[in-house]
Amino acid sequence: MEKTVQQDLSSWQGVWVYCEFRRGELAPVALELLGAGRRLADKRGVPLGAVLIGYQTGDTAAQLIGHGADTVFVVDCEPMQVFREDVYSRVLTSLIRSHKPEIVLAGATAIGRSFIPGVAVKLNAGLTADCTGLEIREEDGALLQTRPAFGGNIMATIVCEDSRPQMATVRPKVMKALEFDKARDGEIVPVEPEPDQITSCIEVVEEVVSEEVSVNIQEADVLISGGRGLESEKGFDLIRELANAMGAKVSASRAVVDAGWIPYPHQVGQTGKTVAPKLYIACGISGAIQHVAGMQSAETVVAINRDENATIFDVADYGIVGDLFEILPKLIRKIEERR
Amino acid sequence: MKIIVCIKQVPDTKDVRLDPETNTLAREGVESIMNPYDQHALEEAVRLKEQYGGEVVAVTMGPPQAEEMLRLAVSCGADDVVLVSDRSFAGADTWATSYTLEKALKKIGDFDLILCGKQAIDGDTAQVGPGLATRLDIPYITCVQKIREFTENKLVLERMMDDGFDVVRVECPLLVTVVKDINEPRVPSLKGKMRAKKIDITKLSADDIGADPACIGLPGSPTKVVKVFAPEPRGGRAVFEGNLDEQIDQLVDKLMPYLS
Ligand SMILES: Cc1cc2nc3c(=O)[nH]c(=O)nc-3n(C[C@H](O)[C@H](O)[C@H](O)COP(=O)(O)OP(=O)(O)OC[C@H]3O[C@@H](n4cnc5c(N)ncnc54)[C@H](O)[C@@H]3O)c2cc1C
Ligand SMILES: Cc1cc2nc3c(=O)[nH]c(=O)nc-3n(C[C@H](O)[C@H](O)[C@H](O)COP(=O)(O)OP(=O)(O)OC[C@H]3O[C@@H](n4cnc5c(N)ncnc54)[C@H](O)[C@@H]3O)c2cc1C
Repeated sequence: MEKTVQQDLSSWQGVWVYCEFRRGELAPVALELLGAGRRLADKRGVPLGAVLIGYQTGDTAAQLIGHGADTVFVVDCEPMQVFREDVYSRVLTSLIRSHKPEIVLAGATAIGRSFIPGVAVKLNAGLTADCTGLEIREEDGALLQTRPAFGGNIMATIVCEDSRPQMATVRPKVMKALEFDKARDGEIVPVEPEPDQITSCIEVVEEVVSEEVSVNIQEADVLISGGRGLESEKGFDLIRELANAMGAKVSASRAVVDAGWIPYPHQVGQTGKTVAPKLYIACGISGAIQHVAGMQSAETVVAINRDENATIFDVADYGIVGDLFEILPKLIRKIEERR
Repeated sequence: MKIIVCIKQVPDTKDVRLDPETNTLAREGVESIMNPYDQHALEEAVRLKEQYGGEVVAVTMGPPQAEEMLRLAVSCGADDVVLVSDRSFAGADTWATSYTLEKALKKIGDFDLILCGKQAIDGDTAQVGPGLATRLDIPYITCVQKIREFTENKLVLERMMDDGFDVVRVECPLLVTVVKDINEPRVPSLKGKMRAKKIDITKLSADDIGADPACIGLPGSPTKVVKVFAPEPRGGRAVFEGNLDEQIDQLVDKLMPYLS
């Protein structure tokens, strides 16, 4: 796979969004990316395409049009029911090769971050990981892709000037979806994969959906996050109670995950997940840089900690200094009273 | 079973800051460590070797200083270590890094399994493993939290998903990237440390691996970093006034719009 210099960049046109679909559901990040993609496509004066890969996708394609897509390529067949890197990667690569979009966006989810890098290498394309900002550069129409690196300590803006497509995975919850508009017009193109695209070396033996994990914390609007300050598994139940009272999801610092009070998929931070909810309530979390790296893009942060010098207050919009075991039960009661 | 582990030397990111004057990374005085995920990859390789027999080779593409990390890998159980190093590799993005590692692995020879970390804590892309496997034209599975069994040349793995995990079966050769849940890395043994001191590190240059100059380092990288800047500071210590009950009431007011 040696490098091929792509001389005719202008033969690549249009913005594409890969729309993740699993177990009958569209990943919310797909609609966010259509919102971002629409903006970029209008700026470039090109159409917005969506690629929907899955099984029994129903009226999802129409939904994608209502949210901004001009064309939806639908690969809906049984082999797409389970996620297999090799199959997904061949199917998407072949679509990109035949239609030549200049930009391809995908959600930075477990699935997106797994198979998109394979697609990029097959296409000899640059790929920017986990972006939080996308703009078009005025001079040449190139895509400016901004992303955090070094555990969130720095931001970098990246371009792929000489290769097409320009590919990026984009962090969930950062881009804004457009309102659904039933009047929007678009075309649905069913795609039948070739037999050699769907043969796989990977056999999915079982899919385990864990009750607690079944909600991806990256997709949550409100996260109640607990740290070592909860002292024990039983103490951590206060976090679950507050989350219940608010209709929120539960996340945690690494200290809590290491102690085994909650499984790893709930860990926020540099070696856990990066989240950007509307509201993040950090309870008994000191605010170590590796933790902050994972939550600093939250819209609003509330911190509760008995140590007024805890660094978590540096990134908090509201804070209460005090004892969790006094504050949380009261907070839960007051919220329940006012519902 | 011959296992290759790809390891990367990274700055301890908690110390990395942007120099506000030059807007470049202030790496001076920052300690270099083995990428934490790669420690788990190495540990898993050594465990597989202990259980099924075979050999573990740790490979890194990096500057000469990465030798130190390779010796640490030996003290943690790697049988052999390879340093892929050349000035011309500098500035590689994940496209060029996976190209270089592919060439190096082909030079090193046959393997059954490649283990990588989920991601490196500096670049944070998680793209090198999948890129490398794609170039080698072997299957890959990312974010593996457990290797359940290895029988008849097939691995049964648990792969983390956003909503739980999938159990998958794949035939070797394949590439696997691991999350930290997979194991607890051991501390270097005394015997390992002795071996590490003496080991002869294999070094491979761009010529040795037959790399195309157009595909390596900065010139070979399709992505270009055009700007680095410090993230916007956020928040600002807005603590509520009044006694604790009053503070909680004010907080509840703020929280009401978020209830669902
Ligand atoms: C390479 C690397 C990667 C890492 N990745 C991550 C990561 O992804 N995510 C992560 O979270 N961490 C990560 N860490 C660990 C991180 O450095 C911290 O150790 C960890 O975040 C601390 O968790 P904590 O805030 O829950 O615990 P602590 O730092 O122990 O903080 C507990 C806090 O609770 C407060 N407290 C105690 N009792 C009470 C009470 N009764 N009422 C109110 N407040 C109370 C204390 O004042 C303190 O601030 C990583 C570390 C390394 C080296
Ligand atoms: C600020 C900044 C932003 C960047 N953003 C991007 C980007 O968006 N896209 C892009 O293509 N490049 C990007 N790069 C370049 C990228 O960091 C380098 O290519 C780096 O060599 C590999 O990427 P990574 O650190 O993200 O590794 P990852 O892909 O996260 O590493 C995964 C695993 O691959 C293995 N591995 C990685 N590197 C090596 C190595 N040198 N030797 C042996 N094994 C290795 C390890 O097992 C590691 O755990 C960026 C660099 C900087 C400084």
